[in-house]
Amino acid sequence: MTATQTPAPAETMSERRRFRVPERFFALQSYIGLVLVFAAAIIFSPRRDGEIVFLDSNNLLNIVRAVSEIGIIAIGMTFVILVAGIDLSVGAILGLAATGAASLLMVNDFGVVVTIAIVLALGLAFGALQGLITAKLGLQSFIVTLAGLQIARGLARIWSGGQGIPLAYGDGPGLAPESFALLNSRVFNGLVPIPALIFLGVSIIAILVVRHSVFARHVYALGGNERAAKLSGVNVTAIKVTVFAICGMLAALAGIIHAGQLNQGSPNDGIGYELDAIAAVVIGGTSLMGGVGTVTGTIAGAMLLGILNNVLALNNIDSNIQLLIKGLIIILAAGLQAFRSRAR
Amino acid sequence: MTAVTSTGHAPVLAMTGIVKHFGGVQALRGANLTVRAGEVLALMGENGAGKSTMMNILAGVIQADGGALTVDGQPHRFSSPAAAQAAGVAMIPQELDLVPQASVADNIFLGDELRTRWRTVDRRAMRRKAKDLLDDLEIPISPERAVGSLRVGEQQMVAITKALRLNARIVVMDEPTSALSDSEVRRLFDLIPGLRRRGVATIYISHRMDEIFEIADRGTVMRDGLNAGEFEPGTTAVGEVIRMMTGRPIDQVYPDREPPAEDVRLRVRDLRVAAGLGQSGRREPAGVDLEVRRGEILGLAGLLGAGRTELLEAIFGTSGHALSGSVEVDGEPVTIRSPRDASELGIGLVPEDRRHAGLIMPASVADNIVLLSLRRIARKGLRRVGAERAAVAGAITDLNIKTHRQETIVGTLSGGNQQKVVFAKNLLTQPRVLLLDEPTRGVDVGAKSEIYRLLARLAADGMSVIVASSEVPELVGICDRIAVLRDGRVVTVLDRADATQEAILSAASLKTSAVGPADGDRPDDSPADDSNPDDPDTEES
Amino acid sequence: MRHPRTTRLLTLLPLASLGLALTACGVESDAPGVGDDNETGAEAAAGTGAGDCAGADGEYLIGMSQANVAEPYRQQMDDDIRAAVGEIPQFEVALADAAQDNAKQVSDVENFLTQGIDLLIISPNEAAPLTAVVERVYAEGIPVIVLDRKIESDSFTQWIGADNKEIGKAAGEYVANELLPDGGTVVEIKGLPGSTPAQERSDGFAEGIAGNDGVEIIATGVGDWLREKGQSQAEALFQANPEIDVVYAHNDPMAEGAYLAAQSAGREGEMEFIGIDGLPIPSGGIKAVEDGRLSATFIYPTGGREAVETAEKILIDCSTDVEKEWVLETQLVTADNAADVYTELGGQ
Repeated sequence: MTATQTPAPAETMSERRRFRVPERFFALQSYIGLVLVFAAAIIFSPRRDGEIVFLDSNNLLNIVRAVSEIGIIAIGMTFVILVAGIDLSVGAILGLAATGAASLLMVNDFGVVVTIAIVLALGLAFGALQGLITAKLGLQSFIVTLAGLQIARGLARIWSGGQGIPLAYGDGPGLAPESFALLNSRVFNGLVPIPALIFLGVSIIAILVVRHSVFARHVYALGGNERAAKLSGVNVTAIKVTVFAICGMLAALAGIIHAGQLNQGSPNDGIGYELDAIAAVVIGGTSLMGGVGTVTGTIAGAMLLGILNNVLALNNIDSNIQLLIKGLIIILAAGLQAFRSRAR
Repeated sequence: MTAVTSTGHAPVLAMTGIVKHFGGVQALRGANLTVRAGEVLALMGENGAGKSTMMNILAGVIQADGGALTVDGQPHRFSSPAAAQAAGVAMIPQELDLVPQASVADNIFLGDELRTRWRTVDRRAMRRKAKDLLDDLEIPISPERAVGSLRVGEQQMVAITKALRLNARIVVMDEPTSALSDSEVRRLFDLIPGLRRRGVATIYISHRMDEIFEIADRGTVMRDGLNAGEFEPGTTAVGEVIRMMTGRPIDQVYPDREPPAEDVRLRVRDLRVAAGLGQSGRREPAGVDLEVRRGEILGLAGLLGAGRTELLEAIFGTSGHALSGSVEVDGEPVTIRSPRDASELGIGLVPEDRRHAGLIMPASVADNIVLLSLRRIARKGLRRVGAERAAVAGAITDLNIKTHRQETIVGTLSGGNQQKVVFAKNLLTQPRVLLLDEPTRGVDVGAKSEIYRLLARLAADGMSVIVASSEVPELVGICDRIAVLRDGRVVTVLDRADATQEAILSAASLKTSAVGPADGDRPDDSPADDSNPDDPDTEES
Repeated sequence: MRHPRTTRLLTLLPLASLGLALTACGVESDAPGVGDDNETGAEAAAGTGAGDCAGADGEYLIGMSQANVAEPYRQQMDDDIRAAVGEIPQFEVALADAAQDNAKQVSDVENFLTQGIDLLIISPNEAAPLTAVVERVYAEGIPVIVLDRKIESDSFTQWIGADNKEIGKAAGEYVANELLPDGGTVVEIKGLPGSTPAQERSDGFAEGIAGNDGVEIIATGVGDWLREKGQSQAEALFQANPEIDVVYAHNDPMAEGAYLAAQSAGREGEMEFIGIDGLPIPSGGIKAVEDGRLSATFIYPTGGREAVETAEKILIDCSTDVEKEWVLETQLVTADNAADVYTELGGQ
């Protein structure tokens, strides 16, 4: 890291008048947080037979598995928040997707590939529709996706008759193909959970998209200044629709994983997941005002929350106290954000 | 206007030897400033000279590291804006601190509402007193109107009224006219005798030389955190003031121009927005005919509300309304429905409002410059970062943008440099036609002449440029021809030789029953003191 | 936002941390196990841990995975377990709350495994999603006591719970025989649709009133176990039905909600309210009966104390003789015995 950025000579005095925290600190905010939490986890981890329980490979993999669903949703949410939107419907879409996947497998006897394709398309379409309404009618995404949340939950309840649909595996009618159970299995010597691998894959794709696609540049431009982006020839409607479609599809993917991991699809799945996902995004340094943030930050934010949950659990911290600690972490991250916008 | 100098009075405000550091940067190095009761002091200087720092110290936004500040001879050190206000200092910032949804009266009394004896808000008394204050200053605005429905100039008058209600002794106006039409500027200037009469000391910051020379009693010029000199509008020449500001003589503000080619680059015929579709407060084109030749700089003059911005936006496809009429580029008829269409045809727009329309403030210099060219540089939707960086580096050098790195957040640059980023963004696409809306607003003299030179260079390279500006002298200085707009129509097109300031102003403000529909929902644009009884066309011919 | 190269490398850090977990394990898996040995677990699956029982000399960590402590009944279950564990010096208990999230409960149990618990008590949020993880625990030779809701396999040491159908039946018989011997109208307010207890309390009740042809369920509402929903549902039902003799709610909070609705309609005198659960807490059903708002409630025992009793039997007494199911009896609480039952169950 080089020295802090000195203001250009042409800048006016008022622009210089406050002490500025180097921009790079904020860029790295979530990673520094991640490293701190990781270090704290090692220090506070219980030890058994001289081993640090937290660092046990199984434990680390459990953490990644546990955050994989929220992480995948949060990646989609990052794109939405980058365009200064919000998607409150992701938890409900997860529930709808889990219910849908279970129903298609158990009731309709569809194959795994067909089921996954249908459910992903459903999530994509649901998100795209929300994006279209937001963009075309000029409504706040908050309210559109709040409505979407209700609709997705309602659809899930109707689809399943209000009941969770348990998965049973085997050949024949009324049974799901064994291959779907892979989602609840571990590979590489029975160690690495499949959901963690999917999370890793989605992360890599998202990072590549942000780095290398024109689309991502347009997302940042749109979030930074919609009018300027529009005047620069950015197709605002298309970008918004795409962003919400991605978010919906990733929520549906998380829903499929959810059903696979828990052997059931229930319309009540994923309640409150949208808030965890938003927390991960914000802790990851993405501004709710749009235009600023990274996918890597979000992944770090999700991991940070996962590690925090884990180490609190390993130390038998009371669940009520856990809520307090998580709340404080979010405030801290948001506070740093405010500090940044003031430093501008 | 005869300046009523009140040299006999002791200074209301004296700032002496003011020093201020920001980290390692010394923003003020012992600057002085005095202003007397009833006096209008012009404070001038290029961006970065220390004007804003000086005013921020005066307003209590920041505190000086050294030096003395006295109001009425009493030493003060303002620890907060509230302390400065209490001592009678009022700032009228460029971004006005008014609540757009609230009424004029509510705004004037905001934070210090009048109460009834039941301790409830006494709206009737507030309305009455607000009316008295407005009447006293001869401001014809109803206290019941929502501030958001007023025009910028009227909002400014509300802000001034509010300051006076707080018994301000010192009023600082920071570039008050940058967003005003000429008629609004006149109305603002009409307030000044009232301020003098009340013994208010006015500090007036502006880049517009003509205004300064019209209203100021005295001028203080700052450069590099120090006083560069004083001037009196009556006796000092403009060139001398510029020399004080820049530290070097600018022999020629406007560049020499080559005559443009003969072939028409852009032709607009009967461009209009279907009636009833225009948003309120906008003056959509109502049948505009226009031609720009290759290598020509065409000026768009007109009062605020004449439809200059709307015309540029209509050509650029931003209006989003159904347009009728035809547009030809290099003889080809084209349809422009969106900014994207315009970009693809090689038309670029540098919008009026940098902050809200021109730049993605939280993004980097590089991201802003390359935004329009992303698709062109990319292969199959994948960016080629190396090529982008090279293009950006070229643009930064070419336009002399002062930034250390491509990754610098654009919001941290100075106004002039931000404007250059907007230029760079457009020029990177190598447009055939460049539309510019108020390109020099809020830009200091040095940067202005840089922009003029750039436009001249682009035109010499064959680009066609349309510049809309409310600064008539600059249009006269750089344009080959000037089209004067009124009520969404072109009323006359003047050649360079015929384009005098008087001719343009009279064409812009002339009121004849033949031209345009009467203004219904908006205040009249044509000020009485601008009206010229002569027909501009006969005078010009 | 893009950053210069040094920064860019650092931005890969979270990805690396994600990858770290995925790659490091391959190496670490050969290291000495930290408790969760990776053997197939087939022969260790005795499930009672009797093989290496340290008896009264040992110290034991019990993991208690609760579905949702926001429900007073489950809070009471945790309280009962904590109280019972406090009486046994060799025991220590770690409590986790899944806050009604199946996925969270799976993680909670995994974390218990990491911590190396000696016995698991679990009150599952739902059966199917938690079956796999409970099976994993059981396969590692750790005894598992399942409370209240079951799982979908028999990979557990003991299930302790009450029979909701029996309780529903008891409530039905009480209505049929005591409250409305000459017949009458009943409104039923159900728990969350799709939950087994709601189904069973409904079926049992229908069975219970079957003996009296005069008793008729004229309307049902869905209160999702919640007091406020019970209230709003009851409001609507009272509007629609002018003659109601008994309100039967699947739990006490909904019965109390219905009582509030009747009160605001000025009809609380016309009908009797009965609920289920009978928690020994100030806001519970027993107090409501004592105060005369509810006519009766039926104790739905938490099984918390019983679970610790079994844990003691397995871990300290090294007993392998544990019944697979322990069905707890309900108890009728009326104004006559409310105060006594409250004290008996440890209410404060």
